[in-house]
Amino acid sequence: MTGEDENGSFPLSGAPVDFDRLDEIRERLGSDSRFSQITERPEFAPERLICVYDHRFYPKRVRDASLEVAWFENGDFSVHYHEDHVDGEFDHRWDRHPSAHNSRDHIHPGPDAPTPGDDTTHPVDWRDVLSMVISEIDGRQRGFWD
Amino acid sequence: MEEPRPGLKADSERERAPDFDALPSPEEFVRGERTRDDFFDAVLSLDTPGTAKDVAELAGHGVDAAREYLDWFERMGIVTQITESPATYERNQEYLNWRRAQKLREDYDTAELLEFLKTESERVDALQTEFGVESPEQIVISRYAASSDQSIEKVWERLAAWKTARRRVSLLERALSIESGDGADLQSVA
Repeated sequence: MTGEDENGSFPLSGAPVDFDRLDEIRERLGSDSRFSQITERPEFAPERLICVYDHRFYPKRVRDASLEVAWFENGDFSVHYHEDHVDGEFDHRWDRHPSAHNSRDHIHPGPDAPTPGDDTTHPVDWRDVLSMVISEIDGRQRGFWD
Repeated sequence: MEEPRPGLKADSERERAPDFDALPSPEEFVRGERTRDDFFDAVLSLDTPGTAKDVAELAGHGVDAAREYLDWFERMGIVTQITESPATYERNQEYLNWRRAQKLREDYDTAELLEFLKTESERVDALQTEFGVESPEQIVISRYAASSDQSIEKVWERLAAWKTARRRVSLLERALSIESGDGADLQSVA
């Protein structure tokens, strides 16, 4: 898959945020004990969800960790994981959107989620994308305690 | 994803590991608990028309159940039937917008809605000025990125923000057009 559509041009002009899908995502992630808090701004029609991970998964040197989820009506998304350390930070992004240097599906691996990222293929189903992301973060969290 | 670097790892003498094995698997909770969740999720994914079989596959249930839910969702307005034979359906964004406008009317009073509308309208105006055209439909991302010397991602993000702000304005205008005694007799409006 490339960033271009079948006419060889980038899909015309993007799409608005999918408020309804974000509502569903907030409900599901909000039911899980991994997250201590989920905020959305603005609350009446959210742009993105900020899902804050519970502190118990991290050693003290990690001050804060969260997952920022943005989803669009045409299926584009940007999911951004962020850790705030006592002496630095860590970022990782899973994206599906047009870009000049990557395919539509790509990741920007840590430590500072650089551009360009790596081409990849994310699952088609949005629920599979989310469970893949959360599983990967689970793996990283376990790594703190090895 | 990368492993945490050694300097960040827990001090096993003083810190206790969480019980990872007690966590539910992400595959479970991102899917919700009810069959209705499965079907609602499936139709939310219908950006292009899909058959009952497509919906059954997305939902992880049988085709008969998919047909029943599609009938029900169509009566409610959540999906629209696009073709007859084979019958295909598409997510009905118009209905979802109507439902959200109703919800805004229930959750906020007129003064709050007007305040939101002011903020979002200002955002739309600012983006319109930034792009220098009337509507986001007039922008082709790649062309605009090249001519304005910005990255494709940056333009994609700004354009999505513009479309989102416009959507919010229309939702808020719609909510404000619904008769209301500011929360008193909303049920009678629907």
